[in-house]
Amino acid sequence: MVSNAKELAGKRYARIMAAINLEEPDRVPLRGFGGDIIPAYSGITQHEFCYDYEKAIKAIEKFLTDFQFDWAGSGITGLDGRVFSVAFSEYPDIAANTTFITGPMHDALGDKYYRYPGREISEDASPQFIGGTFMEADEYDQLIEDPVKFVAETVLPRACRNLETPRQAMATMVRLGVEFARYGAAGREIGAITAKLGYPSIPMGGAYAPLDIIGDFLRGIENVLLDIRRYPDKVKKAAEALVEPIVNYALSYKQRGLKWVMIPLHLNEYLSPKLYKEFYWPTLKEVILRLADEGMKAQVFFEGRHDAHLETILELPKGWGIAYFEKTDVVKAKKVLEGHTCVMGGIPMSLIVGGTPEKIEEYVKNLLEQVKPGGGFILSANVGNAPRETPIENITALIEAVEKYG
Amino acid sequence: MLEDILKNIVEMEEHEAINKAKEYLEGGGDPQKLLEVCRDAMGEVGKRFEQGEYFLSELILGGEIFKGIMEFTLPKIKSGSVQKIGKIVLGTVKEDVHNIGKDIFKVFAEASGFEVIDIGIDTPEEKFVEAVKEHKPDIVGMSCLITAGVTSMKKTVDKLKEAGLRDGIKIIIGGGRVDESVKEYAGADAWADDAAKGVRLCKQLLDWRVD
Ligand code: B12
Repeated sequence: MVSNAKELAGKRYARIMAAINLEEPDRVPLRGFGGDIIPAYSGITQHEFCYDYEKAIKAIEKFLTDFQFDWAGSGITGLDGRVFSVAFSEYPDIAANTTFITGPMHDALGDKYYRYPGREISEDASPQFIGGTFMEADEYDQLIEDPVKFVAETVLPRACRNLETPRQAMATMVRLGVEFARYGAAGREIGAITAKLGYPSIPMGGAYAPLDIIGDFLRGIENVLLDIRRYPDKVKKAAEALVEPIVNYALSYKQRGLKWVMIPLHLNEYLSPKLYKEFYWPTLKEVILRLADEGMKAQVFFEGRHDAHLETILELPKGWGIAYFEKTDVVKAKKVLEGHTCVMGGIPMSLIVGGTPEKIEEYVKNLLEQVKPGGGFILSANVGNAPRETPIENITALIEAVEKYG
Repeated sequence: MLEDILKNIVEMEEHEAINKAKEYLEGGGDPQKLLEVCRDAMGEVGKRFEQGEYFLSELILGGEIFKGIMEFTLPKIKSGSVQKIGKIVLGTVKEDVHNIGKDIFKVFAEASGFEVIDIGIDTPEEKFVEAVKEHKPDIVGMSCLITAGVTSMKKTVDKLKEAGLRDGIKIIIGGGRVDESVKEYAGADAWADDAAKGVRLCKQLLDWRVD
């Protein structure tokens, strides 16, 4: 227990909010990471971390106690389950539960989307989303006609062994419900721990880019890229049809009192500006705008290189949310988005894994000199998952460097 | 006709390219010449990508068109008469299941005359070692898209050394998570985070073989 936990959390919250509101905080906030390093740091296997919530919570507590970021970025492992949230989008009390599919939920579903340690892969491997093709090219009309029906009744029975028949599905849903309750309870326990450690609470729900639902969960990435050329009108209409269920799912978080959604982007890097503006951005933009109308903000994770599409972000209303970048140069991004959008990122995970404390200090100093002035910047590793061999002294070096130069 | 085919491939006109290639062969055209034209077209697609004019979706579609034409062209070329400039054993490293980048690189390497032996994804170190023993390649290519894969690459290079195979090959690494420092750390000879550059580097790595 940190004695001044409340005060500390308040200070950190103000720091993060200042950056989000495009102001200059008392110091540049540092968002935390987690992932594979957490079980490794506590000496438990990935399997235990994914399946034994009690052990996982202890490991998370230890990590968050020893490495004090401004914003905790650790939780029980779950992999992207937005396709299930589309299927459940008519039921706001259910849809949010499948944003992440945990190991035990994966067991209940018997799905082909994920591989979990101690199940399809070794006990100490990191959990994997592998995706796949569960819809044929000639089925676009069905997707367009009724996306929720098509996903729930046609795609998921193909993608999940335990949803193949209605009676299997009945038992599976009961098991899934039990897991929702366990996962929810674990989440609340972690919430209590972070509060007592002095971390602010900025809970995030989820949304998704409509075209990524098709790429990640229905057609597969390569197929959807070829579909764009072969059946452009159908792809466009299908993405449009998915806006409604995605917005409904995301709004279920509003009912729970949340103000934020997280949106990771996958196809952005693949597309030329022309294709991006025609097939990807309009529906993603609509999702963000409709949530903004309802008072919700988005944290969009622009994976890969987003350089070619940076300017499109300016089409969103000022202060719409946080732009989190992976391989895009954040110095350049900040220049383009200055006074309009809060920028997050900047620290390559490869530096934390392969660098030395000296190199990290040098890097942070240099970067902050460029991005600190004017505010509106949150420092973060460029991905949230630190591999198990991440040197501990490098994590400490990062935190210290930000305290010194932030 | 061949010029049209080249243009169709470069401009991503899939149907036209494939239909004209079929017509060309049915009209008694030389499959060897068609192959060369397709290779030139892929070279041009790669060039446009390097210049930032084309993006990954064009590389994937270009590869798809190339594969589509090769399907009916290669069987018409006498086996043995297709000159290979070198052999690459290629795989995505252990713990990494991303295959798209590897597959794009493979098509472009094949299009420029390499024989590529694809040993898949999430490839254990030992599998690379066995593949080198079996196929005796000039180059080993490793694709890596996740940070955890960086250690896998180092381990693979170490295993190749232990097996006494390292000196007989060149190692190139690729994929979204590699850079100069990763190359150094893993002990590879070259790195590329774009397929066209990767193929160029592989050709340079071959020069070493002649010396
Ligand atoms: C598509 C994608 C997926 C798809 C993969 C589909 C598939 N069949 O490959 C799916 C959705 C399945 C997926 C799953 C996961 N992914 Co993923 N994925 C991506 C994404 C969006 C694009 C990757 C890609 O295909 N790029 C396009 C290809 C063409 O680029 P490329 O590989 O760089 O290849 C080019 C060159 O590098 C070169 N090249 C490639 N290989 C080689 C080899 C040689 C020898 C040479 C010379 C050249 C060369 O040629 C290519 C063309 O120019 C990236 C983010 C991003 N934009 O990078 C995340 C990303 C790679 N994924 C990530 C993660 C974490 C995962 C998961 C682990 C998530 C999870 N927890 O389940 C799982 C994978 C499990 C695992 N252990 O591998 C992270 C990795 C983070 C990190 N630093 O470790 C990224 C960076 C996203 C992120 N920012 O969080 N992913």
